[in-house]
Amino acid sequence: MRRIVSVLGSATVVVALALPAPAGAHTKANPLTIYAAASLTQAFSAYDPAQHYSFAGSNALETQIRNGAPADIFASAAPLNADRLYAAGLVDRPVTFTANRLALIVPKSNPAGITSVYDLKTKKVKLVIANAAVPVGGYTRTVLKKMALGSVLSSVVSQESDVRAVTAKVALGQADAGFVYVTDARAVSDQVTVIPIPAWAQPRVRYEIAVVSKSGNKAAAQTWIKGILSAKGQAALKNAGFLPLPKASS
Amino acid sequence: MNRRRLILSAAGAGLAVSGVAGTTRGLAALTATDDELAYANFGLATEFLLRDFYTQAAAAKLVGGSAARNLARGRFNAAEHAAALGTLLTGAGQTAAVEEDFTFVWPDGTFAKADAAATIGLTITQALLGTYLSAVGSISIASYRTLFASMAANLAQQVGALSELAGGRVVGISFPAAVDVQTASDAVASYLG
Repeated sequence: MRRIVSVLGSATVVVALALPAPAGAHTKANPLTIYAAASLTQAFSAYDPAQHYSFAGSNALETQIRNGAPADIFASAAPLNADRLYAAGLVDRPVTFTANRLALIVPKSNPAGITSVYDLKTKKVKLVIANAAVPVGGYTRTVLKKMALGSVLSSVVSQESDVRAVTAKVALGQADAGFVYVTDARAVSDQVTVIPIPAWAQPRVRYEIAVVSKSGNKAAAQTWIKGILSAKGQAALKNAGFLPLPKASS
Repeated sequence: MNRRRLILSAAGAGLAVSGVAGTTRGLAALTATDDELAYANFGLATEFLLRDFYTQAAAAKLVGGSAARNLARGRFNAAEHAAALGTLLTGAGQTAAVEEDFTFVWPDGTFAKADAAATIGLTITQALLGTYLSAVGSISIASYRTLFASMAANLAQQVGALSELAGGRVVGISFPAAVDVQTASDAVASYLG
């Protein structure tokens, strides 16, 4: 349980590990500062632990970059955040590098007896979701709208600032159900049961990545992005449960 | 093109029947509910699935003659239905899915024999037919209702053709059942990925 709290806490987590980097020896001496969506925590840390990461909601990271935070790379869970920074001249042109899907998770004990997303409409449920400003919060609302389940928003007991906080609350049994990315659900699979969302109701979850314009390490940042787009980088993302590059983007 | 024209063109593209297109007048003042649009969202994805089914079945060269022509026609119908539903959703302010959003899953052996393929095709077409009948019974917007009724009529033809391919009757039961989106969704979930 302590592991869950430390890994999935709602505050921004800064990870700076000194393990060897698969992305190249140059990163050891001068690590990149990578601002990445909270849902990328496990995947990026496993792919290249030598870099300096700041994981949080994409909207919070966007704001920090607008305010001049010293990042080299921005990886967003929705195109909107990266595209807004690009329009403002704060990042180079973003590229799509992976995709994800949403799932409903319930605690293993499943106190509300939920077996389908549709149960949210008929059962008394303490539901936790992310707030609308953070990508997973927007995607959650898209799912509910597509499935004509907008009324379940009245069951929401808490709106969180990023997906890790939603995951943690359900994993710890503080809520009956929550909407998260399938990759986050995987990370706590011993504590939650995953209830799939039908493919037809899935939002188009696309991740974008870009070099921050003011980076003092742009060449290395571009190399790192090439790495995550390479077969090796894509394999690391796939291992973490992410989807391959969308056909239209590849 | 304003919203009314978009939806009119969707209905027109799907129906190609001037008398039906005329019933879509007065649409501009109406707003679809999420319940109503759920039929379109499910239908769009499942029409993409059905189009892929027909594509795979035709490529497998399981049948010839009129049966092969039926598969080709079914593929064409699914594409037209998907286009109409996509335009309807876009006109209603939603982001319509595209075929690339899905990874269809066909069990091993699906296209090895005509009757096996037809059985799976029947599962999909019957789910769509049932959903569209349900939509006709519950949607308040006349033009949407007309579109779904028209697509249901076409789906019934496809069900007949696939039923024959599976060894059954072309003309089946008198009253095909209307099913809700949840039931239909469960029926095709394993193929939609």
